[in-house]
Formats: sequence, structure tokens, C-alpha cells
Amino acid sequence: MSRVLNAKDKDLRTVSAELKSCLSDGEIVIKNAAHLHGLCGGLKTGKITIHGDSGDYLGVLNDGATLRVTGNAGRYLADNMTRGYVLVEGDCGYGAGAYCYGGTIVVYGHAGDFTAVMNKGATILVAGDVGDEVATYMLAGDLIIVGDAGKNLGNYLIRGNIYIRGQWASLGHNTRVQEMMPDDVAKLRGYLEEYGIQADPADFQKIVRLSERPFYKSKPTR
Amino acid sequence: MPPVNGTFCVTIMKDRCINARMPGKCATCVEVCPYDVYAIDQLGQVRVQNYNACVGCRICSEFCPEDAIRINPAESEFLVRSPWTFPQVEEIHYKSLTGEYMLRGFGTMGGYWPSFDNITVVPSQIASPAPRDKYREECNLEVVIGEDTCERPIRLRYPFLFPAMSFGALSKEARMALAIGAAMTGIISNTGEGGLVRDETWLIKGYENEERTLRRWEPGGYLIVQWSTGRWGVSADYVRAGDGVEIKIGQGAKPGMGGHLLGAKVTEEIAAVRGVPIGSDALSPCRYYDVQDLEDMKRMVAFLRDITDYQVPILFKLGPSRPYEDVAACVEAGADAISLDGLVGGTGASPAVVTQGVGIPTVALIPPAVRALKDLGVHRKVKLFILGGMRNGLDAYKALAMGADGVGFGAAAEIAMGCRACMACHVGRCPYGITSQDPVLRARLNPVEAGQRLANFIKATAEELKILTMLSGHDDIRDLSEEDLRAMEPNIAAVTGLKLIGYEKKLSIWENGR
Repeated sequence: MSRVLNAKDKDLRTVSAELKSCLSDGEIVIKNAAHLHGLCGGLKTGKITIHGDSGDYLGVLNDGATLRVTGNAGRYLADNMTRGYVLVEGDCGYGAGAYCYGGTIVVYGHAGDFTAVMNKGATILVAGDVGDEVATYMLAGDLIIVGDAGKNLGNYLIRGNIYIRGQWASLGHNTRVQEMMPDDVAKLRGYLEEYGIQADPADFQKIVRLSERPFYKSKPTR
Repeated sequence: MPPVNGTFCVTIMKDRCINARMPGKCATCVEVCPYDVYAIDQLGQVRVQNYNACVGCRICSEFCPEDAIRINPAESEFLVRSPWTFPQVEEIHYKSLTGEYMLRGFGTMGGYWPSFDNITVVPSQIASPAPRDKYREECNLEVVIGEDTCERPIRLRYPFLFPAMSFGALSKEARMALAIGAAMTGIISNTGEGGLVRDETWLIKGYENEERTLRRWEPGGYLIVQWSTGRWGVSADYVRAGDGVEIKIGQGAKPGMGGHLLGAKVTEEIAAVRGVPIGSDALSPCRYYDVQDLEDMKRMVAFLRDITDYQVPILFKLGPSRPYEDVAACVEAGADAISLDGLVGGTGASPAVVTQGVGIPTVALIPPAVRALKDLGVHRKVKLFILGGMRNGLDAYKALAMGADGVGFGAAAEIAMGCRACMACHVGRCPYGITSQDPVLRARLNPVEAGQRLANFIKATAEELKILTMLSGHDDIRDLSEEDLRAMEPNIAAVTGLKLIGYEKKLSIWENGR
């Protein structure tokens, strides 16, 4: 039996206090939370379902909680997450998975521009398409795109892998297409099966960095 | 490589030098110089092999057991050939040979901009409240941040802070020293954007050991954790580890650019904290990827308050841009305090042209920033800290009298730790171990000794501020006002709105309170 919190007409502080007071009670469902930005921030435990849409910065600094959104999520989903899971049944906006150090994000719909920007270790799986400038300055982790991508995919990629099944409008600086290895296929199969996404891992292409030091344009004076 | 900050005449006085008398003996200068200025030849004799490599740090002179080394700037070059000074010629050669621009650390090289030096303090005599007795009367120097907005406000014993200088830009030992210095004086140390040195969290509270069993330094300081555009080493635990969170918008060394840690300083330890490859440049974005407008910034403040349980203040740090509008935006976003960094300062590595020529001089930032706070009715509630080239209690007094609530000492703190301002911090070979990650150089900096020096500097500076406050007839720094200052020349009067000496009025352009 899950606990239900109704966030209608309540502010972030009130809902957060209610949420933290019942985190140990088991699964929690939050309704009418689309107006709240930064909800479920910095949680270390908990299994929370956002019924309907969520606002921006959902699960910011998440450190272990499992969040599920039954509708669409706003911008900056799971911003700077370090651990945990964030699953969105619909679409999500700009900057999903920005600055993440770890954890897993699964978006069953589409994701916007700058998804996985400066990703430093999270696994981000998008079942639909993604926008432009995705995985800009990514430093670690995996981004799996089942659909298509826009312009400048993987711009200034430092480390980490981008797997994409569809097409991209253009690749960003410091990227190259690398042959898929059996390990890659096995990894993708594991993720796709775990999250129930219908796609053949063999159809994906892998994009990796060209150089580990793409910024070296200038040197110190001595 | 071209010189960083001019050329230096390196002179070894043979009559004193041990090696000159006994070749093969004593090569201390060769050992301590991180720039290979000296060499030993086949006969065991020390010689100067590369004058151009000398940055003027004077570590050789300091370590020389016979005081046999003199380092003097080659000033005639500056005077005779200006503007084609030797460094300028070398810089053009460097760029023409490599196609690369110059980088520099430690702020500007000086210039003809308005400064605090052109302002004088007005002492109290018969026509104003009588002076206070520094030796027998009290003077309040305390500043409180977040008194009305959070449950654990910061109560600074002195109106000073050590501004953000990251682990990476600074050595671990220097970061520890800043924490100890802040703990000894009850002020703020700021992590910068390079993540947290674990020891800082207990040193800042005055504990000698990690188990927090022995409290050695009173009264304990405050640790501000910085939230920046690169978000290096940031997690929920990091945000909660601080006594406040600072949202960095910009900095004096490179306003409009992100943090700039060169690969030479990205060691294994720093790479682990920041999550970047060893030896790779860690270049922060120039803007937040998760903020597109002021509404987003308000939401960022809101969730940071929420994650820290509304316990600690939220601060902003701004580069020197449009002080009125920027400060007003910070207030609207929900700031408890704002640090405003001037053109003059900046300890970070930056393209030389940006350090030297981008931004507003520190002294000119204060009047519009204070006006913004007054217009919004939050002056003295939202605290304003001025950074950028602050040197002593006199600079602090002037900033406070112009309306600021406190000042930050960045470069001055490094100098207090032993730095000689050779301006080559970004190279990673700091001879004093302050801005180096080389274990040999780092070993030269004892965190406790450096922390004690920082505390001494802060206490002496606070005494200076106290003297000036009391001689101008006040017993509380919050009572200081523009009336306690005069501009020494028309230009500074025009820039600051202070009364001009002799004229004893504000210039007409400042009438009606502009």
C-alpha cells in the first residue's frame, strides 16, 4: 500500500517536509506536482512515483532514491544525480541528466536539447529521439539513444560512450564512430531488456571521443 | 618561453657564495628553483643558465644560507622601450612562433584605473562625533549572513572572508591552511569549484584530527561550498557539508569565462575529485547548462535551500560586469550575500588579455552595487562582499564606508601564506607549494604554519580596520558611511560619488543621488 501526497497548491518546502517525514513508510505517490521545481532533491532513499507531469529539476542531486514519472518531466531532469534511478514514462525537456556523476535515467519518450550535458558517469537511456547538442562535454558514462539525434551530437566528448540506433544531424567536435564490440552489444541488450525497450542492440552505432585533450589550444607561459 | 611578468636581474655575489668559494658545495639555489634558472657545470660551479626563466619568486634568495643572491626587476626595460617592453616583445614572438595566446595567473599587472589609493579617510575632530578610544573602548566588527532567512546564519567575527580558490588551483596543503586560518579567526573559507578536501570539513571547525576529539583552534570558522558551472565533485553530501552554498556566476580573473584548470595541475588526486582524466584540462563552462534565465536561477536557489533543509545561507559570486543590474538580479534570485569580484584581483589562470583588460575596477563596482541594494530595500540585509586586490585594513575600511559589508582577501591570503606574487600560479611549479601539485614543492608548505600566518594577517588587518573605524568616530563598522571618505582627485570623485577634497562636495553629476 503506497502513501499518497497531494501537492496541489503547496510549495516545495511543505511538500518536501511531508515527503521526508514518510520516506521510510514505503512507496510514495505524489500527485499534482507539476508546479514544483526541484522536487525530491538530494534524497538518499525512497521509492517515489510522480503521478502525472513533474516540474523542472526533478531529482536534482539524487543520491539513491528511485523516482518514476508517469507523465512528462520538465527540464534538467535528475540534474547532478550521483546515485539512484529516475524513470520517465513520457517525454522530458532540455538538459536531462546534466552534470550527473552516476545513477540511471530512463526516458521512454523523447528528450530535449543538451541531454547528458557534462555527464560524468550516469547511464542515460532515451527510447525516443533527442535534440541538439546532446552529450556536450560528456566526461564519463553511457548515453543510449534508440531514436534519432539532432545537431552536434557528443560535442567536445572527453570520455564515455554514445550508442545511437537512429540518425544524427551532425556530430560534434572530438567525436568519431567506433565499431560496436560484443561487450557493447551485451551491455546494450542488458539495458534494453531490463527496461523493456524493443530494439535490437546490433542496430546501434557507437560514438566515442577522438582525443582525450580536445581543449589543448594554448599552453602556459612557462 | 616568454617571461611571465617582466625580466629579472639574477646576481650571485661571489664573495658570499659558498659554492663560489668551494665548487661542488652548496647548490641550494639549484635545488629550490622550480624554473631551472640555475645549473651546475662540470666543475661543480653554480651559474645562471637562463635569466629569462626567472619569475622573480625569490625562493633562491630566501633559501640561500649566505644571503648571496639578489633578484631585481630589470626596470630600465620598462622605462626605455615602452610600450615595446621586453615582455611585450617576447609575447609577440611567442605568439608568432606558436599561434597560441598567453595565459597568466594572479590577476592584473597594474594599470591606470581608479583605485582605493585615490581615496582618503576622514578622521573625526570637533565637528563630528568624537573619536573612539581603540585601547579602552569596544568596536563591533561582526557581520551576520542569513540572519532572517536560514536557521544557521553565519556570524563572522571579522568582516572578512577567504574567497573561492579551488583544490587544483591550490595545493591540498594551501586549502588546509585556509581552513585553519579561518578557524583561528572565525571567518569564511570557500572551497572554490574543485570539490572538497575532506580535511577541510573538520579543520574549519578548529579540530586537529578527523575524529574531532581535539579542538585546537578557536573560535572555528565557516566553510562555504561553491556550486559552479563545472560542478566538479558536487553531490548532495558536498552541498550539505558547508555552512553555506555559493552560486558562482563569474570571477574577477576571467568574467564571462569558466574555471580554467590546466592539465599540468590535474594530478591523480585532483582527477579523482573532479572526475576528469589525469593531465586533462578541466575547463568549466562559461555558463550553467541547467540555467537559462533568472527564473531558473530562482529555482536553483530554492532547491539548494530545500536540499540543505533551509539551514544555511545561499551566496552569489559575480564577476565585474554590470554591478547594479547583476546585484539586483542576485537579490531577486534570493541571495543572502553577494561577493563582487573586481578587475584588479583574480588569482585564477586566465588568458592574459582577459585578466588585464576585462571588467570594472574594484572600487568602481561598489557605488552601483550599493545603490541596487538600497533601491531594493535590502542594503545591510543582503550582505555585500567586495573582492579583487584588497590588501589591508585601509582598503577594507574604504570598501565598508562605501557601503559594503565585508571584503575578501584572495591574493593577499596567498601572499600571507608565503607567496611572492611571481604571477606564475597557473604553471603548477609554485616554489612555495601554494599553487603547485608537485609533492616536492607541496612539502614546502606546512598547513599549520601557513594557517597561523593567515590568522595573524587577518587579526592584524582587523586591528587596522578597528583603528580606522574608531578614529573616525564609530564603534560599529555598520555605521561607516561615505561621509568618512573623500576622493583625492576628480576622476575618483566622478567614479565613486564621494566628496572631492578641497571642494568638500560631490561632483555635480552625482547630485540628486544619481
